[in-house]
Amino acid sequence: MADNDIKIVSFLCNWCSYGAADLAGVSRLEYPADIRVIRIPCSGRMSPKFILSALREGADAVWVSG
Amino acid sequence: MDTCINKIRELSLKLLEENEVKKVIGFAEGTIPMATSPVTITRKQDVEKLVFNSTCGLNLANYIRNQKDKIAVIAKGCDTRNIVTHIVENQVQREKLYIIGVPCNGMIDKSKIESLFEDEIIEFSEDGGKLNVKSSLKEEKLNKSDYLRKNCRLCMHKNPVIYDVLAGDLVEEQNFDNPYPDVDEIEAMNSETKWQHFEDLTKNCIRCYACRNACPICYCPTCFVDESGPQWVGKGQDKTDVNTFHFLRAFHCAGRCTDCGACVEACPMDINVRDFTRKLNKDSFEMFGWEAGLDIARRPPLDVYSPNDPDDFIK
Amino acid sequence: MGNLLEHMGIEKDRVHFSWISSAEATKFVDVVKEISKKVRALGPNKKLVKDYN
Repeated sequence: MADNDIKIVSFLCNWCSYGAADLAGVSRLEYPADIRVIRIPCSGRMSPKFILSALREGADAVWVSG
Repeated sequence: MDTCINKIRELSLKLLEENEVKKVIGFAEGTIPMATSPVTITRKQDVEKLVFNSTCGLNLANYIRNQKDKIAVIAKGCDTRNIVTHIVENQVQREKLYIIGVPCNGMIDKSKIESLFEDEIIEFSEDGGKLNVKSSLKEEKLNKSDYLRKNCRLCMHKNPVIYDVLAGDLVEEQNFDNPYPDVDEIEAMNSETKWQHFEDLTKNCIRCYACRNACPICYCPTCFVDESGPQWVGKGQDKTDVNTFHFLRAFHCAGRCTDCGACVEACPMDINVRDFTRKLNKDSFEMFGWEAGLDIARRPPLDVYSPNDPDDFIK
Repeated sequence: MGNLLEHMGIEKDRVHFSWISSAEATKFVDVVKEISKKVRALGPNKKLVKDYN
């Protein structure tokens, strides 16, 4: 894997950041394509296990956003 | 501590005779020297089996859950802190427990003593601060203070925090300017060295889960390592799996661990599992001023929300 | 969680937390840029990655 090809697993809350991501898309804002979005129904759905799982499966970083 | 065993037996006998409790949970002599094991006494004539000495390093709070009748438990300082944690977490009711508190002068590091001998230890006895250990080749007289477990050296709660009756006189508590020197040592390393430190630490782990089973706060009906849908952690000795297990187990103990040392005591490979949990103990102390199991009325910091909770990690 | 990961030797910048309202598209973009920059500086993660081979 090349150094410039990184994966950031992003857990985004359906009602907050996922909406923001949607809005960013609709507004044609540009942002780096390093994030891989996983929509969670609420930040409360988050568990430490998810973060570890992501890292174990080869994510370079994890981002949790409510 | 020699005198307190008489008191423990006397109290236990009285409790059983008067039918105040159905069982007494304590320690009994094991099959080999220095290996006391937890025991449940239900009959009056068995009270003589109870012992209490510097080898009672396991945590009896682990055995008080799911009891129908009122029970009595013999508890050191750290055991009582775990009893408090159990009460706070609704695992036991205070009314169903009779706590025989034992002020504790620390438990001994068995593997450190074993390392002095080439062959098997055949006899162990103690008298005040002196230990007498014998194998077939030699006999050693040791000072107990030199052979204390690491967590007992740094223990600040030797006396029971909750009890119905005391089996001995309260002992003097230690006080440290810095209770977490071992954590600071690791914190001073850079990422690579830290990672190496933990790789080396866990490389002998055989995944027997003795640390989890000995731990009084590891009581989930299904542990995350046993879950199969999804399977979070592989079952083998793959080093990523081993590290994930230790990491997540420690994390589940955040703000709950009383540093009783039962995990290290139970580990057959002498891994200092406490390197993981101690960091979280330090963090909960620094961020929330919290030490687990001291106050029956206070909710643990990860249980409640307060506007003052530290939030600098959120952007 | 971040603290214990860091204690184990996983760099702090590998786990991020943020709070963005659904109306804050610009903040979202800013945060993604910032995280991406930090993680790129660290390079690929080699620790705690399961090797299935």
